[in-house]
Amino acid sequence: MKKMAKPTRKDFYMEIKRSPGRFLSILFIVALGVAFLSGIRSSEPDMRLTGDAYFDASELMDIKALSTYGVTEEDVAKMAGVDGVERAEGAYSGDFLYNTSDEQRALHVMSLQEKMNQVAVSEGRLPERNGECMADNEAGYKIGDIITLTSGTEDPVADTLKTDTLEVVGLGSSPCYLSFGRGSTTVGDGSVSGFLVVPEETFDMDVYTEVYLQIEGAKELLAFTEEYDDLIEIAAENVEEITDERAKARRQEIVDEANEELDEARAELEEGRAEAEAELADAAQKISDAENELSNARAQISNGRTQISNARATLNSKQAELNAARAEYETGVQQLEDGKAQYEQGLAQFEAERPSAEEQIAAGRQQLEESAGQIAALEGILAQIADIEDNAELPEEEKAAAIAAIEAGAGMSAAQIDGALAAARPAYEQGLSEIQAAEGQLSATEAMLAQTQADLAAAEEELAAASWQLEDGQAQINAGWSELKAKERELSSGEAELVSGEAELADARQEYEEGKAEAEAEIADAEAKIKEAEEDIAAIEKPKWYVYDRSVLIEYSGFGENAERLGAIGKVFPVLFFLVAALISLTTMTRMVEEQRISIGTMKALGYGKMSIASKYMGYALLATVGGSVIGVLVGEKVLPYIIVYAYGILYRHLPEILVPYDWGYAIMASGAAIFCTMFATWAACYRELEDQPAALMRPPAPKKGRRVFLERVAVVWRHLSFTWKSTVRNLMRYKKRFFMTIFGIGGCMALMLVGFGLKDSCYEIAELQYAEIQFHDGSVYLEEDITEGQLEELKASLEDDEGVEGYTDVNMQNVTLVNGKTERSAYETVFENMEHISQYIDFHDRRSKEKYRLTDDGAIITEKTARLLGVEAGGTIEIKDEEAGNKKIKISHICENYMGHYIYMTPAYYEEVYGSAPEYNSIIFSAKENGENGKEQLEEIGQRVLKKEGALSVSYIHDIEKQLDDMLRSLNLVIVVLIISAGALAFVVLYNLNTVNIAERKRELATLKVLGFYDMEVAEYVYRENIILTFLGAAVGVALGRFLHLFIIQTVEVDSAMFGRNINMPSYLYSLALTVLFSLLINGVMYFKLRRIDMVESLKSIE
Amino acid sequence: MSGFVTLRDVRKAYRMGEVEILAADGIDFEIEKGEFAVVVGPSGAGKTTVLNILGGMDTATEGEVLVDGEDIARYSQRRLTAYRRDDIGFVFQFYNLIPNLTALENVELALQICKDPMDAREVLVEVGLGERLDNFPAQLSGGEQQRVSIARALAKNPKLLLCDEPTGALDYNTGKSILKLLQDTCRGKGMTVILITHNSAIAPMADRVIKIKNGRVSDIARNRSPISVAHIEW
Repeated sequence: MKKMAKPTRKDFYMEIKRSPGRFLSILFIVALGVAFLSGIRSSEPDMRLTGDAYFDASELMDIKALSTYGVTEEDVAKMAGVDGVERAEGAYSGDFLYNTSDEQRALHVMSLQEKMNQVAVSEGRLPERNGECMADNEAGYKIGDIITLTSGTEDPVADTLKTDTLEVVGLGSSPCYLSFGRGSTTVGDGSVSGFLVVPEETFDMDVYTEVYLQIEGAKELLAFTEEYDDLIEIAAENVEEITDERAKARRQEIVDEANEELDEARAELEEGRAEAEAELADAAQKISDAENELSNARAQISNGRTQISNARATLNSKQAELNAARAEYETGVQQLEDGKAQYEQGLAQFEAERPSAEEQIAAGRQQLEESAGQIAALEGILAQIADIEDNAELPEEEKAAAIAAIEAGAGMSAAQIDGALAAARPAYEQGLSEIQAAEGQLSATEAMLAQTQADLAAAEEELAAASWQLEDGQAQINAGWSELKAKERELSSGEAELVSGEAELADARQEYEEGKAEAEAEIADAEAKIKEAEEDIAAIEKPKWYVYDRSVLIEYSGFGENAERLGAIGKVFPVLFFLVAALISLTTMTRMVEEQRISIGTMKALGYGKMSIASKYMGYALLATVGGSVIGVLVGEKVLPYIIVYAYGILYRHLPEILVPYDWGYAIMASGAAIFCTMFATWAACYRELEDQPAALMRPPAPKKGRRVFLERVAVVWRHLSFTWKSTVRNLMRYKKRFFMTIFGIGGCMALMLVGFGLKDSCYEIAELQYAEIQFHDGSVYLEEDITEGQLEELKASLEDDEGVEGYTDVNMQNVTLVNGKTERSAYETVFENMEHISQYIDFHDRRSKEKYRLTDDGAIITEKTARLLGVEAGGTIEIKDEEAGNKKIKISHICENYMGHYIYMTPAYYEEVYGSAPEYNSIIFSAKENGENGKEQLEEIGQRVLKKEGALSVSYIHDIEKQLDDMLRSLNLVIVVLIISAGALAFVVLYNLNTVNIAERKRELATLKVLGFYDMEVAEYVYRENIILTFLGAAVGVALGRFLHLFIIQTVEVDSAMFGRNINMPSYLYSLALTVLFSLLINGVMYFKLRRIDMVESLKSIE
Repeated sequence: MSGFVTLRDVRKAYRMGEVEILAADGIDFEIEKGEFAVVVGPSGAGKTTVLNILGGMDTATEGEVLVDGEDIARYSQRRLTAYRRDDIGFVFQFYNLIPNLTALENVELALQICKDPMDAREVLVEVGLGERLDNFPAQLSGGEQQRVSIARALAKNPKLLLCDEPTGALDYNTGKSILKLLQDTCRGKGMTVILITHNSAIAPMADRVIKIKNGRVSDIARNRSPISVAHIEW
């Protein structure tokens, strides 16, 4: 724009100063529009940003992985090494029960992590020691509370935790729990009431229960955006890749461990077997010993018996012998007497002869000694000679000399000596032997006598001995008899002993057999066990790994979905708002240019160029719009997202800080659009005027033509209208632009409000509709996969007997993927076993016509949203995906109303037709008897009773789902309020603006009416009539527009898994209408004063 | 002495910021019932102020304004409105017809609110628009529009017909015919007509001529023998 000359500039400022209302109204409406557009739009990123900041600050994990056998340190280390993973941290968690005095609560106990998932303490402190915990600050615990945990399963708490008693030392929140939801569990009543954070050492487990991962670069990305999701997806795939290997390793580890144990068992078995065998052999030995002993004894006894009879014979013969011996003894005694007499005789003879004999002997001896001396002397001389001869040292001459000397001495030579000797010696010998023979004879006689005496003594002795012997023999025989008697007694007792020994042996043998059988059985048992264990080991499957992203966190996805929903609202709602705002500023500017015809004409007449004339208006509009945009952006992008995110804060209470940075993209987009709209409108208005000749401009414009309207042709009606009404009707028609603007404005506002209320209706309705009109069962029991027939029977019997249970039926619930052409949707395939009472649990009907459907054996019933997403209609055919056995064709017989989740319902018969096998029922749904206020507690009691039964995995209650839903949607409330208030504000501004323009345009007409004597009220009515009609017309348009917009927004806003209500309830129409009328009245009230201020003198002025 | 319309020492002061402007500085005049009075004066002399006050569109700061014996200067806004709707017929320089009502409807619009109206159709026939009853203002010439305007004023059967430069936007001949209509109405119905104009040439047709200058009445002349408009040239 060309720089304005001074007077023009002044005129420009004066223009603003003179019409602050108009300037401000454009400014304000633009501000409102821009604020709304950019504000609501940036709520979506702001919400994500706020969430993301919280996640980043609390180091929330990106990926959670866990395996069915736990996570080992090695797993964690390997995970940390995966491409893209920045950090991995193992953690423990487990679900426990806490029995308070009046209820049983399930608690999720998790270990305090060092790095990730940082909890925030709101009160107290973090747990530091075993036995301390930080409790969920939403769960109603106080510091100092003592929580005693029970396991809720067969395994004791001690399997998992070192202590079952925890003291609450702090309260706080965890980023893993964004909102109120705490998730579900397999213990207690199935729903977790809160979490506890304990130091890691509180857990007493070999392996972690899960591992958390943070991904490189994830922190820099905004959560809930595609970039983030993509990054995590890639990382998750990388992690998945190693899970197989980890699973194998883990399996090996477990198998090894088991094998080790098995080997031990085997060794033990062998040992046992050896021991048993040894024992048995021992026993067998003992038995055979005993047998031997017995047979020995038996032999001994028979032996004893022969011995006894032998002994008896011997004794008898001995007695005979003894008798004979006694006779012999008698003769012996006689002989001895004879012998004694002979000896006395011989002795006397010897004594007489002895002295002479002894004298002879002594003389002989004398002689002998003399000859012996001679012999010795001769021998001495010979020895001297021999000595000399033998002496070598002496010379031969000396020897001869010496010998000669000696020979001389003896008087004989050596040879003579030798001869003497030879003669002496035999004589001596003879003499000696003679003596010796005499001596011998003497001593022989003496010896014979002694001998005889000795013989006699011996015989005597012998006889005495024989007498003794006889005595002794008799005694011996007597003793033999008594011995025999004793032996006989002994023998009979031996026989008795033998009998009992035999009995004992039989016992022992039996015992042995028994023991053997027992040992064999035991061994066989042990062997079987080992075999079983071997099989078990062989059957050990690889642990299953599960890799989750953050969507595993409760309500995490909900947060993203809420942001997305905001985004969807932001795409439609503010656009409409903005459109209305743009139209208003357009009207205002057009009006302004039109009002200034004369001024424009004058300028033109004075020779100003089109541009410089237009620049005033363009500048005016620009200033107002830019000003409005700046205010709108500055305020709107801070306040609106803050309010909205704050509103969600009711749901997500732990978001520490709401981040609402300026989003310049949206700011520029909104401002640009506003500026473009007003500038274009102003330019268009200016252009039209500037094309006119100055003279024509300075003349008043030709009066607008009055025109007959259609209504006039309906004479009956027309005639009965008063003139003010006629004028009103024609006025409405005459100012078409205003007419449509107003209708659009009011209609828009009405529509916005209707959408606001309608959104509320739709969202709130679904829980009610879904669980009061479609699915009426109160809870479902999920069965364990390996439930036995008996357990199932028992479970059902307990339901049957439970007084609170109205009815129940087996259900097959299977998540399947439905295929129609290229579209795929997952849905729950639901088959009711008992088709008779199906109406107790579910009602199939059409949403619009409410026509009831029956589930028949000819086809399946599918839920509405599912059908729409799949693009299938009743009577059509879809497929159930089955990658292994090929897709199964399913005929859709009906489409039923449904809001939550996707379902496809079939009869057991149809299931069988489709699958070729009967359905396996994996859950039981039940409905409770009506219980009024206590219904919830009673229902949960039923649930607890059911969970105590074997085979029941978990119980879910409809009211829990309902509550969760309500919580989620409650946050929409404030958003809706914001929308309604904004719509109201817009309505106000729109009506105010349009009325101002209207009054300004018709000032003269109104002044004339005043002059004609219309009371203020009558003048006001004249205007109001139009407003009222326009308000109602606008409202009517708004209803149509609102319905359409509502439907559109609902479809945009709703998540795939749910269908929001399509209805807007009557009260919502009424509220919206009432509010629209209220705003209209308010405006009319303000207008009243404006009308009163109209000076009648205006009527005298010339037409401008 | 009191006429049908009597103004006594009427003063009107406007405050324009710091300055007080005296638009009427003691105006005194009387008009008899059934008279055709013309108020003449140059621009800014205060004749519009007189008209506003007389028409109940403005109140005098001081003085009495007696119309048919009632001092409208003492009236409340509401009574003034009632006065306007029942006692005053107003003919504007720019006709001020409601653009999207037909001639007939424009008349009827006024009649709808008054106590003793005449028949709209008749009045329009009287003003010579019998043929154009159902035409919209945009379809009528200036003179015809002014006739509708007069018909609208007359049909209310007012005590006083106030005309503000009724010929101001009309060409000479049309203006003359309008003046004739007014004069005839005055004569025929005995209507008190007060016509405000800067054109002193038409003074001879009036029964009474009141000249205003600088917020005061400079001259009041009674015309014993007013002449028909047809004979006046300007």
